[in-house]
Amino acid sequence: MPDALLLTLALGASCAGQACLALSLESHWRQAGAPGRRPPAVRMRATGAGLLVVALMLCLAVNHPSIAALVWIMMNAVAATSVAATLAWRPAWLRAPGRLLADRRRAEGV
Amino acid sequence: MFATFRLGMTWLHTWFGLVLGFVLMVVFFFGALSVFDREIDRWSVPASRFEPQPLPSFDRLLAPVFERIVPDAPDLAAARDRVTGPLPATLPVMDYSVYTTHRDPVLQLYTSFGLPNARDPGDHIHGHVTLDPRTGAELPAQARKLGSEFFYPLHYGLHLEWKELGYWIVGLAALGMLAALVSGVMIHRRLFRELFTFRPRASTQRSVLDLHNLTGVVALPFHFFFALTGLVIFAGIYFPAGTTVLRPLHDADERREAALTGLPLEPSGIAAPLAPVDAMVADAQRRWQARGMAGEVGFLFVNHVGDAAATVSVYRAGTDRVTLTGEGIHYRGSTGELLREDPPQGVVGGINDFLTGLHLQHFRHWPLRWLYFLGGLAGCACIATGFLFFARKRRERHAAQGAGGLRLVEALSVATVAGMGVATAALLVANRLLPQTLADRATVEESVFWLTWLATLGHASWRASPRQPLRPWIEQCAALAVLTLLAVALNAVTTGDALWRTLAAGDWAVGGVDLALLGFALVAALVARRLRRLERDRRASVAGALPKGFAGDAGRA
Repeated sequence: MPDALLLTLALGASCAGQACLALSLESHWRQAGAPGRRPPAVRMRATGAGLLVVALMLCLAVNHPSIAALVWIMMNAVAATSVAATLAWRPAWLRAPGRLLADRRRAEGV
Repeated sequence: MFATFRLGMTWLHTWFGLVLGFVLMVVFFFGALSVFDREIDRWSVPASRFEPQPLPSFDRLLAPVFERIVPDAPDLAAARDRVTGPLPATLPVMDYSVYTTHRDPVLQLYTSFGLPNARDPGDHIHGHVTLDPRTGAELPAQARKLGSEFFYPLHYGLHLEWKELGYWIVGLAALGMLAALVSGVMIHRRLFRELFTFRPRASTQRSVLDLHNLTGVVALPFHFFFALTGLVIFAGIYFPAGTTVLRPLHDADERREAALTGLPLEPSGIAAPLAPVDAMVADAQRRWQARGMAGEVGFLFVNHVGDAAATVSVYRAGTDRVTLTGEGIHYRGSTGELLREDPPQGVVGGINDFLTGLHLQHFRHWPLRWLYFLGGLAGCACIATGFLFFARKRRERHAAQGAGGLRLVEALSVATVAGMGVATAALLVANRLLPQTLADRATVEESVFWLTWLATLGHASWRASPRQPLRPWIEQCAALAVLTLLAVALNAVTTGDALWRTLAAGDWAVGGVDLALLGFALVAALVARRLRRLERDRRASVAGALPKGFAGDAGRA
């Protein structure tokens, strides 16, 4: 697979991972209009961490570990900033991942 | 002293950040530009707008040029004070070196000249030329490569060369920055909880602090490691033990190393011609290839030129990893016989090379280069918002007390943030307007930069007023937007390399600089517009007609 595609996938995984970490916080969960009052914090953080690991693996598949680690760290900075900007101006865009990972019983108030 | 630990850390963060922030802003901004120094070089010297080239033949093309190089005039003038008696008309040649990277279309050739009767026996000066490796033609000396010869030295030395003062100021600022980063983390009560928090519609004070925290925290590893590695690179200047108290030990180690490696420390005094260097380069490339390494030459060094003890050292351009790697291979200059292949670095040397490589980024990786650039700009945003927060927090209180110190801080902030951008854009405009044949072109360009920067400080001091504190920001951001657009337009007019043409031709170096300039113009225009709205609403709220959404600001006012 071309390196550019792998790095793009890594950036996507990193953005998704950072979005999950952000949505694990109650204030951002509500800001995004995700279902329920509280986020399933443990599930969101585990998924977020998993996606960040996937991003790292993709970076390692492209470059020497020293370069891959740097790309991953800086990519996460860009991803975190993008998530913060999305929450500031387009919070509803993060509703979908929130719904996907929401605890249905809790969201329905069971 | 302070009631709590957190208050102590807040004081440290505030005052270290403010006092050293002016220097750090310069270091970060020109550091970010230096990530693309070779691309800015191509933009500023149209004669160098062609593809990067591998090292050409030393024997046919480079050797005759080395023989023509003379000492640089400023170096020669400065050296007259370091010798006893007059300098001879021709200085003895010590060594040749040539340096290139995968981003350099043109080559840098350097010659070192010994100084007879120098007070320090090892003292020497340099001469250099920039060469078109395709033809061997020298680029005119007045063609200043703005990226690598102006912005980059400004990043690490502020162009304050007297007693290496600039290095010391930048080093002190980097050390202060490490303290400011640690104290910033200490005083940030909800580091993770507010990591993704940015409230652009909240009060100005709130949104500025959010942006300060965001740009500081998301790029925290970048900020920390760049301050640290910057200090590591110049550790020899900050701890000059090797050239002062430990000089005898340093000299003894040099002799021991020469005996160990077989690379003579001193010339023999017996004249001898140089064997074909191209054969040595080809042999070095074969040896790297056998070890599975990319084989382009990055640095070639001929020591003791014209002497029987001459050596030729060939270093690899280590583009495939972060660490500053060379895998040097050394030959006897007079015969071409292999003397030594550098063994892998030890642990301490390896860590040093990694930290240095992390900062100097010799690797071939465009996405990472762009990420470094964004990291540098995040640092600028963090410092700029820190200035704004400091001023905004104290404005009303100082105005009520009639204290004038804040006005000075605000003027310095405007000049350091927006003014620096205006001066840089003015330099690029001057670069495109001044005739290529102008004898003192580089000096005139530099004067435009420094005088414009000084003028922005004057403008900020003159236009700032307690009634309209944002006015200098608005005007200088607008000037920045206009000047950057003008630079792009002038590049198209004076060279014919309009943006659409460079992009269509795949010339991402020149086209990329133009695109970045357009990006700066857009951001400056948006900031100017936003600040103008804030200023207008602030005036309206003072007049009693408080608009919805600015209650926070007005409440503080």
